[in-house]
Amino acid sequence: MQHVANLSDVRGRVGEAAIEVDRVSHVYAGPEGGVPALQDISMSVGVGRFVVIVGPSGCGKTSLLMMMAGLRHQTEGRILCYGRPIPNPDPERVGVIFQEASLFPWLSTLDNIEFPLSLRGTPREERRRRSQAMLSLVGLDGFGARYPHELSGGMKQRVSIARGLVQDPPVLLMDEPFAALDEQTRMTMGHELLRIWSTTKKTVVFITHSLTEAVYLADEVLVMSARPGRIIDHIQVTLPRPRTYEMMATDVFGRLRDRIWQQIRKAD
Amino acid sequence: MRWPAPSTVRWAMLVVLLALWEFVPTTGVIPELFLPALSKTLYVLWVDKHIYFAALLVTLYEVALSMLIACGLGILVGAVVGGLAVLRNLLLPIFSSLYAVPIVILYPIFTAWFGIGSQSKIAFAGIYGFFPVMLSTAAGIRTIDPQFVLAARSMGATLPQLITRVIIPASVPTVFAGLRLGGALTIIGVVVAEMLTASAGIGYLVTLNRTILDSPRVFAGILAILVLSIAYYMLARALESRMVVWQSAGKQTRAASRDAQVAVAAPAAA
Amino acid sequence: MTRLQIRLTRLALLALVMAAWEILPRSGVVNPLLLPPLSLVLQTLVDLLGRPAVHEAVAVTAAEVIVAFIIAVPLGAAAGIAIAENDYVGEIFKPVLFYVFSIPKSIFLPMFILMLGIGFQQKVAYAAFTTAFVVLMSATAAVESVRQDHIMVARSYGATQMQILLRVYVPSMMPVLLETLRISMIFNFTGVMIAEMYASRTGIGHLISNWGENFQMPQLFAGVIVLAAVAIAFNEAVRALEARCSTWRT
Repeated sequence: MQHVANLSDVRGRVGEAAIEVDRVSHVYAGPEGGVPALQDISMSVGVGRFVVIVGPSGCGKTSLLMMMAGLRHQTEGRILCYGRPIPNPDPERVGVIFQEASLFPWLSTLDNIEFPLSLRGTPREERRRRSQAMLSLVGLDGFGARYPHELSGGMKQRVSIARGLVQDPPVLLMDEPFAALDEQTRMTMGHELLRIWSTTKKTVVFITHSLTEAVYLADEVLVMSARPGRIIDHIQVTLPRPRTYEMMATDVFGRLRDRIWQQIRKAD
Repeated sequence: MRWPAPSTVRWAMLVVLLALWEFVPTTGVIPELFLPALSKTLYVLWVDKHIYFAALLVTLYEVALSMLIACGLGILVGAVVGGLAVLRNLLLPIFSSLYAVPIVILYPIFTAWFGIGSQSKIAFAGIYGFFPVMLSTAAGIRTIDPQFVLAARSMGATLPQLITRVIIPASVPTVFAGLRLGGALTIIGVVVAEMLTASAGIGYLVTLNRTILDSPRVFAGILAILVLSIAYYMLARALESRMVVWQSAGKQTRAASRDAQVAVAAPAAA
Repeated sequence: MTRLQIRLTRLALLALVMAAWEILPRSGVVNPLLLPPLSLVLQTLVDLLGRPAVHEAVAVTAAEVIVAFIIAVPLGAAAGIAIAENDYVGEIFKPVLFYVFSIPKSIFLPMFILMLGIGFQQKVAYAAFTTAFVVLMSATAAVESVRQDHIMVARSYGATQMQILLRVYVPSMMPVLLETLRISMIFNFTGVMIAEMYASRTGIGHLISNWGENFQMPQLFAGVIVLAAVAIAFNEAVRALEARCSTWRT
């Protein structure tokens, strides 16, 4: 397991990176002048990979994700998604899942899922077809007519995921999507997510605070330092897939998790 | 002993109240001048029903028009002032300070300007309702979860789409609260104005009959107004609950929802 | 916008309004008989403040406001606390409160007049009547605003009822209490004004009503300005006090 600070050797061949982050730094305006949030971040996310970013609170990982999503702009450096920059949100390339499901309470589950399509003016027939398909994919068949206030936290996040997938973007960015759920639901959702991922073969960038979740889900884990965020470790998770709950009790799992923890502790 | 259900107690209290209204004056414990018997009140209401009906129409007409001002303007201004941080910080404190002033003292100005007809009532009640509706809407706008906007942006929504597909639907509960509030307040405003200086309307009838000490007719007018305001309240609630089934579970800052509550609860001093 | 910018902008707006109030009537754009120029109004105001008749009216109004307040607050508070404390009573009366608030309480004014005439008692009784409801509702809200978990913590440490009352309820409710008093006073003032304008031979409300009827516009506007100023001053003073007491409120 290599300990790499900069990831130039892990970058795939040109054209194979779903997301490429090239020397991104970010300074935002604070009450007393500029606050450096990110420092010289370079990373590459291969197509079809499940990459998890962990780091202490405030390290800038959410900002980084927002920049990958086109919701925010970095002050330096560039970010490419499938070779092209992403200055504005592009739901056909990148789907974003937030910690809060943010389902619109005045729309039914199905209407929520097809919302991005309706923004584009997709015809009704196709909207229905695709949102129905997504509903099934996330395991919520039959709940299409329900309203968000009738759904549990885990179900709401599933709908949020369905919504992110409905335009079939190759990349999925997820910002601590399970943080607001209780532990048991979290484990189930993690498992579900892996199932959906292996079915749809998307590229996933996932942020979490939970080290266990990170090791369980990821192909690769990127560890960030405290502010200003830098990438201080890049860990390949070599556990076989499909991942099982039993793996969590193995030595390999424990060592991986421990390594992440040591890195984070050092960086603070 | 099991306590009876609260709603039963309420109905019972109502019945007792009505019974008292009937029997206490009749037995002379309270002179008929102060409180005419319920039956007498209903009787004169029936006998003069065309007079009361005509007066009610005038009152309703004034209420409708002032509602247009209070709610229409109030919701619009409230949404704009509440939604734009610059305006909010600049103007909202001014408006809430002005709220402390008893608007009723402006009424003589309106009668001097517009006469004692409907115009002065509409102007007065319009302003009377405007401030609370505006404050309530401004506070309510802030309860819209900013995450909605973020999520919609991430889905590629344009600005017009953000406004029409996210912000407006999310504002519906606030708007309805504003409508309910505005209606209640304009009814109060119109009634007060009619009682003070008028030539027509239910409030005018009440005052007229008071000066000639015709208690039954005074109370008939009071009864009519009571029924009107309660009916409006029930109607507004029914409509609201139909439209807003999904009472938003959006993030509410405590300050914003408190302000909204105070502004909503505030009005009926008059 | 910085605070200074905000203050300056507000002052600018005020200056604009005042300028308009002066220029529009003087230039004839607005009928000066209907809207006397600001300078005239202010002159009249100063003049009025010197008149004994006005002093009398102020005294009467002030007395009514204070007495009504003193009556209304304990009554309303007691009722409000009773509703908040006792679940059963609360369930009975809470839905009623909403209906009550939709009713124009001014319609009961003739009733008070029929019973008590048009003097001091009637106005005080009416104002106390309307204010009590506001106090009631705010008191209910205040009591309910005390967090259950705070109470439980106190109980778990063996606090007596009295201690819980004094050491948890009171500090917890203090900011809300001040706000309650402030809002109640606003409505109290309104109630007194309505009563005085409706049927009274004394008090500022009566004066204003009179001036309006006789088209004495400069006096009318002067009166309105003074009343507004007093109301706003009182409101802001209490607000400042509230802010001092609520630094801990999230």
